[in-house]
Amino acid sequence: MRMKLRKYTALLRVGILEEMQYRLGAAVKLFGNIIYLIIIYFLWKAIFDSSPTDVVNNMTFTDTMIYLVLASTLFSTMEMFVTWWIGRSVQTGDIILELLLPIGYSSLNLLQSSGNTIVAVVVNLIPTMAIVYLITGGGFALSVNLIFFAMAVVLGIVLNYYINFFVGTICFYTESIWGINIMKEVIVLLLSGASIPIAFFPETLQRVVHYLPFQAIYNTPIMLLIDNSLSIQERFSMLGIQVFWLIVVGSISHVFFRISIRRVTVNGG
Amino acid sequence: MTEPIITLKNVSKEFKVLNRHEGVKGGFKDLFSRDYKIIKAVNDISMEIMPGEICGYLGPNGAGKSTTIKMMTGVLEPTAGEIYVNGKIPYKNRTENAQNIGVVFGQRSQLWWSLPLIESFKLLRDIYQIEEKQYKDMMELYESLVDIKSLYSKPVRQMSLGQRTLSDILAAFLHNPGVVFLDEPTIGLDVSMKSKIRDLIKALNHEKNTTVILTTHDMGDVDALCKRIVIIDKGVMLYDNSIENLKHFFGAYRTMRLRFTKNAAELTEEALQKQAEELTVDLKQKYPQASSISVTVDDDWIDVLLNEEEIPLMKVMNHIQETKRIYDVQLQEISTESVIKKIYDKEIV
Repeated sequence: MRMKLRKYTALLRVGILEEMQYRLGAAVKLFGNIIYLIIIYFLWKAIFDSSPTDVVNNMTFTDTMIYLVLASTLFSTMEMFVTWWIGRSVQTGDIILELLLPIGYSSLNLLQSSGNTIVAVVVNLIPTMAIVYLITGGGFALSVNLIFFAMAVVLGIVLNYYINFFVGTICFYTESIWGINIMKEVIVLLLSGASIPIAFFPETLQRVVHYLPFQAIYNTPIMLLIDNSLSIQERFSMLGIQVFWLIVVGSISHVFFRISIRRVTVNGG
Repeated sequence: MTEPIITLKNVSKEFKVLNRHEGVKGGFKDLFSRDYKIIKAVNDISMEIMPGEICGYLGPNGAGKSTTIKMMTGVLEPTAGEIYVNGKIPYKNRTENAQNIGVVFGQRSQLWWSLPLIESFKLLRDIYQIEEKQYKDMMELYESLVDIKSLYSKPVRQMSLGQRTLSDILAAFLHNPGVVFLDEPTIGLDVSMKSKIRDLIKALNHEKNTTVILTTHDMGDVDALCKRIVIIDKGVMLYDNSIENLKHFFGAYRTMRLRFTKNAAELTEEALQKQAEELTVDLKQKYPQASSISVTVDDDWIDVLLNEEEIPLMKVMNHIQETKRIYDVQLQEISTESVIKKIYDKEIV
């Protein structure tokens, strides 16, 4: 049993080690993030300046900025390359070696990419949250909401992984990944509320987004962090929705992968 | 009599391939085409491999070697026939089977690209759930066989091809599997590295009694390692016997590579062919009894293949030198390709 657990923690560890090999990459990522934040600062400043009221869609300028800074940080923290990994593996044929490890292909990728994400949480997410808290002078509460936030982030990471894994599996058919991945990025970025707060969406779109899994990745954790008006029941039900989507998307990904890998073993890779 | 560790019974593998058309218009057609053809990559192959054997699995490119190996590892499912590895059907128990086999593909690496080698080893130890003691013993064995310690802290991406192949082979043996598949392990390596790797494979096979299936194009690998070889071409098994038997037929064959002009690279294909034809006629006239002599063009060389039991090579060379000026000469043993070609041409049965 302990041996079995070690199998998984070892992969997580390798994911962490791998990510730490690329120090320069982390610095560049941080730099890119800062530029992005400057752009959205001025963009939203202009939007609020041109508005007759200080509050737009129930959000003040500060609310919006906190939301967007956290959203973009969460986005870059959770950014994973699973689709690229799978695509490259399929194209080069290296997937055969990964299939020959005595561990499921999905677990292999999940653990390694989670290892990458853990590093990003430490070097990216936590510092940014600290800075946001200091600058806004307590823009979010420091209480039980942090626990909900942490749980929601973990669920968001795994959910995001399964969406990526699903898209990566499409590579078995297309053998090219670029276009599909770009499409996925755009859809996720928009419909998850990572680029525009969902409160700003038109009402119909809000309703549609509500029934899609994407908002459960970024929007749920952020709301749990900054929205102090949520009751405990509401908070638990938000986590419940995340779990629901995790099960649905995870199962679909698994089934889709099984069918696809079967195709490979029957007709060659 | 021990049980064979690998059994193949009348195994075949067919691929369905789309008939592609040429050009842009053809490309459009292909989008909707249902015009498939069936390719038989492996056709009715049977063999049994005993524990501890090193078996050479030979054949020209596209002969179906890799397909067979993929079926034995469980990544491909045979269209017909049965395969048992360690008494199990590989494709039905891929993950389970993986625990008991090791794989090296000369062109790929199973090591973690950006990490120091020792991290890959540690990770494999955990993934394969190797006992700490067994892992330590194995590492000690490795250190006694090759100078691997100096590579531990080196990231795999910074390694030379030789170092990487060496590491990959060690990684494949780490969990002490019953069978290791080595697919062209010495491809692209220099002579000293090749011999190092051959020694290593031999030692590991000897120490752990690991069964090794080796595919290669290098006759040197075969000579150094295998007692038995299986040759396939176009998916059909041509030969399955000891290497002694094969040597008996081809041991005396030599290839003499000649150049008759200073800048042979500038010669046209036709000019070379003409030279080769002249030489054929000349040699046939001079040595009518030596039926083994054949002259071919390879790149900008003219190759004379002959059987020394029929006619000594030096005699032929002297004869050629009397009529032509030789600018460059190389002597080689018969290549795998020629052996396979000879077998394929049914020169031995």
